[in-house]
Amino acid sequence: MLLLAVMLLILASGLAVPSCQPAKGIPRGWSGIYVGDDALFLGSMEGKLVAIDKSTQQRLWPDVPFKQKQSSGFGCGQGDQAVAIYGTPAVATELVYITGYNGKMYAINVETGALRWVYPREDELDPIVGGPVAAGDKVYFGGSDGKLYALDAATGDELWIFEKSEGKIWGTPAVNGETLYIGSFDKKLYAVNVADGTLKWQFETEGAIVSTPLVYDDMVYFGSFDRHLYALSEADGSLRWKYQADNWFWSRPLADNGVIYAGSVDGTVHALTADKGEKVAVFDLESPVSSSPVLADGNVIVAVEAGQVYSLNVSPRQKEQLVNLEEEIYAPLATGDGVVYIHSADDTLHAMDAVSGTILWMIKLESE
Amino acid sequence: MINVLIVVSGALFNNFGLSIIALTIIVRGITMPLTLKQTRSTKALQELQPKMSELQQKFGKDKQKLAQEQMRLYKESGVNPAGCLLPMLVQLPVWIALFQSIIRVLAVVPEDFLKLSGHLYSAWPQVFSLVPLNSKFLWLDLAVPDRFLMLPILVGGTMWLSQKMVTPRTGDPKQQAQSTMMLWVMPLMFAFITMQFPSGLALYWVVSNVIQIGMQYFITGGWGGLSSQAAKPAGRDKRYLTRITMAEEKVGDYTATDSDIGADVGADIAVADMAPKEGTASAKYQPGLRAMKRHPKKSKRPKRR
Repeated sequence: MLLLAVMLLILASGLAVPSCQPAKGIPRGWSGIYVGDDALFLGSMEGKLVAIDKSTQQRLWPDVPFKQKQSSGFGCGQGDQAVAIYGTPAVATELVYITGYNGKMYAINVETGALRWVYPREDELDPIVGGPVAAGDKVYFGGSDGKLYALDAATGDELWIFEKSEGKIWGTPAVNGETLYIGSFDKKLYAVNVADGTLKWQFETEGAIVSTPLVYDDMVYFGSFDRHLYALSEADGSLRWKYQADNWFWSRPLADNGVIYAGSVDGTVHALTADKGEKVAVFDLESPVSSSPVLADGNVIVAVEAGQVYSLNVSPRQKEQLVNLEEEIYAPLATGDGVVYIHSADDTLHAMDAVSGTILWMIKLESE
Repeated sequence: MINVLIVVSGALFNNFGLSIIALTIIVRGITMPLTLKQTRSTKALQELQPKMSELQQKFGKDKQKLAQEQMRLYKESGVNPAGCLLPMLVQLPVWIALFQSIIRVLAVVPEDFLKLSGHLYSAWPQVFSLVPLNSKFLWLDLAVPDRFLMLPILVGGTMWLSQKMVTPRTGDPKQQAQSTMMLWVMPLMFAFITMQFPSGLALYWVVSNVIQIGMQYFITGGWGGLSSQAAKPAGRDKRYLTRITMAEEKVGDYTATDSDIGADVGADIAVADMAPKEGTASAKYQPGLRAMKRHPKKSKRPKRR
């Protein structure tokens, strides 16, 4: 009996298993923020689309909930579970588009919050992590099934599906003109014709790609799990240069004045010349960078996982901590009119002055 | 261990299932000396159990005396009562580390991937490119529970087999009940837990249990409690049995002096369990011992003829 009791005690403490822990990790999400002229749109960690008036900080309309059935095993509670939202919503004309980990994409009326369409109409796809991109009359997104979808932006009708990827697609596509760029877990970056979904070119790295590509000055920049930042020719995908850090590149790079800023989960931001990839500066921020930076008032604003927000520049060289939110930050930053918007891991939306770092206001997104 | 799992996976055709199997074998191999010691100690303790029960019947009300006699029996038989527990306690951190490593490497949601990035060694550059690992193995997706429930059944079944092999036969109802509970509760509990966990962990448990069954087979000289015949002791287990036999003979030898308290106890034990060795005093006075058994309260010593 003693032996049994000891074994059970050590097993429970070592495994630290609650009685009904889901077999997979728990997805919570880290939605980015779309900054419109008058409103902000983002997904909350309760699985809802939230629309906020920028000037009054009031909800434009009631939060739109998305749900999925939980089926995690015997004896555990069955019921609705909040949908994790990782991508940043996209807005085009009168609709806001948002994707969820439940494998669905939703189009919501910007003015009323009413659901216009959902894709797929029945069943669901594999989990969707990347955000949608609206360009022209189409909306694009990638899924964990390795497929890239193009839908009619107004009706949600399926236009084409790109199926050449052999791995999950977790990044958000980047569209420039007639070409869409997307990375995959199969270690390749694909350039796809937006008209018909045919392959234009592809480039293979040595690691999975989750970073959203940046198109700048006829070049495509993106990071990979092989710890390299790549610069390819936009025309044919040929390699111009690559640069190595100490860990993965997860966030989207940023370009300003001929300099590429790329954050790595090794805790540094690397500033490189855009044309040759020569090191200009390396900023040690002492915490992984998974949130995509933004450019505000001439400075690069970047957040680290530990909760600090920094202002960086290479000319003159500066690194200044603007604020410490003391909450984890994974979601990409957003900016508009000198204000930087931050969605922290405690599901709070902060508005910060881009120069002084003063928190202008903050809203907890959870329902009362 | 996370990085080792990843590197081994890369070396084994980028197959994480093979990596789990390989690392389980390696870890069990490294801890084999401790496991062997634990298994032997467990078996030896079980061999002593009938004698312990008799001591409890005889000295149940006198705790101090009971403790004295129990310690004497342990000492004379050379069995360490903590011998089965200590090796297990030493091995458990290793098993838990392997368990936790498998969970971390099988990152499924984006949050888990970011946490995993902090555990990768920059000195082993290949680990960065190998993640995410290929989680497909046979019919399984190692990152999710086995939807066909075959692995939970295998986990419970192999654990039951392993337990059954080392469960001794006993006529004591109390001990039988305890053995039955151990035999069924742990396998059922682990089978249920396995339904909730990624099948990569279940694979680790099945492989670990199969290795344990193999080790027990060779240590105990057979299928143990699974077999209808008593298993022949193998290797060093004979040493324990020999010492137990000697301990019993010593206390059953009627040439012992009056000051040898153990003789009183040993006489009862010898009568209950063993035929005396040829040529010993016990054999010479066997009729006297039978008399003792019929009338245990009447005398502690048989009359010499």
